[in-house]
Amino acid sequence: MTHPDPHSRYSHHYTSFHRQGDPIYYREVPPLAPKRQPSSAPPRSRSSRRRAAPAQPQPTRPAQPQPTRRQKVRRRPRSRNNVLLAGGSMLALAALVVVPKPMSEDAKPASDFCQERVQSQSVLSRAELSQLLAVPERSSKESIRQMIEEPYCNLSPLAVREGAIAEREAYPLEFDPQTWLIVLYEEGEYAGYDFSFHRE
Amino acid sequence: MRSRLPLTALLPLILMGVGACRFATAEVPPRKIPIHQNWTLQPGSQIGNYHVVGGLGDISIELNGSSVKAPFDGKVQPTDHKCVAFSSPEVPAYLFRLCGVKRPQLGPVEAGQVIGRGEVLQFAAMRRQPDGSWAMVEPAVEVLEKTVGN
Repeated sequence: MTHPDPHSRYSHHYTSFHRQGDPIYYREVPPLAPKRQPSSAPPRSRSSRRRAAPAQPQPTRPAQPQPTRRQKVRRRPRSRNNVLLAGGSMLALAALVVVPKPMSEDAKPASDFCQERVQSQSVLSRAELSQLLAVPERSSKESIRQMIEEPYCNLSPLAVREGAIAEREAYPLEFDPQTWLIVLYEEGEYAGYDFSFHRE
Repeated sequence: MRSRLPLTALLPLILMGVGACRFATAEVPPRKIPIHQNWTLQPGSQIGNYHVVGGLGDISIELNGSSVKAPFDGKVQPTDHKCVAFSSPEVPAYLFRLCGVKRPQLGPVEAGQVIGRGEVLQFAAMRRQPDGSWAMVEPAVEVLEKTVGN
């Protein structure tokens, strides 16, 4: 196996690997922020600067007193700048509050993953869930079916492992309907489960 | 004045952006994968002065710098030896280990989202065993196609 990377890299263990990963984020996220900039913060500062810039030569206030008392003249734009700065940072804050949630944390409709609905009344009770969690993997599908009813829906059949088709069934939890339990069967055997959160 | 204003206005944005990234990276915990087949030679093992980048059970795909995509909605976690683990609640009982992905995108990802790029991808599919360990299995072509594109 030929790998173009310098071999020394592989001597790094997890911690250094993780650090290596860090700079990515510095690079990756700026696109998020600058995208916002043209729409939110900077355009205002630009437009207001445009206003401010022509305002200096045209209206008599800032332009004329310049040679005599600079301090007074400068204070006004500074206070404007401060207002802009405060406004800009507030906008930045707002952008940060609004933007960073990754898409996958949003609630997704169950229809996104349900391929065919089986029994729309089906929910999993606490008792059924705890029974299911006690079953070891590789038990027969029938033994699981004796404990829990038919699923709310089936996910599309999928080959994960070569030569085996995975059947996936989904149940919303009775006591937490946004959380779904997904059960995977292969070759008539129970292979495992997982929880999918934030589904509606 | 002109040059200062945009900088000072942008500074909080930049700083907070960086802060948010740090926060985001800190959230992704590393994943230990106890592998059922306890082979001596695994990615990261050393042979002389060299390191093993792929072991038994890894499918090596020549990517030549192309992107690696998330095959399902799921999450990417760092593991040992410059690899990442990909898992999806939509595919219970399975875990994928991807080695050779440079600058991986850690954390939650959507199906089709780029996880990173690489020259040679080492892809391993693992199936959960009753004892909690992960057995390496042969991945289906379907999953590999979703991961590297057609």
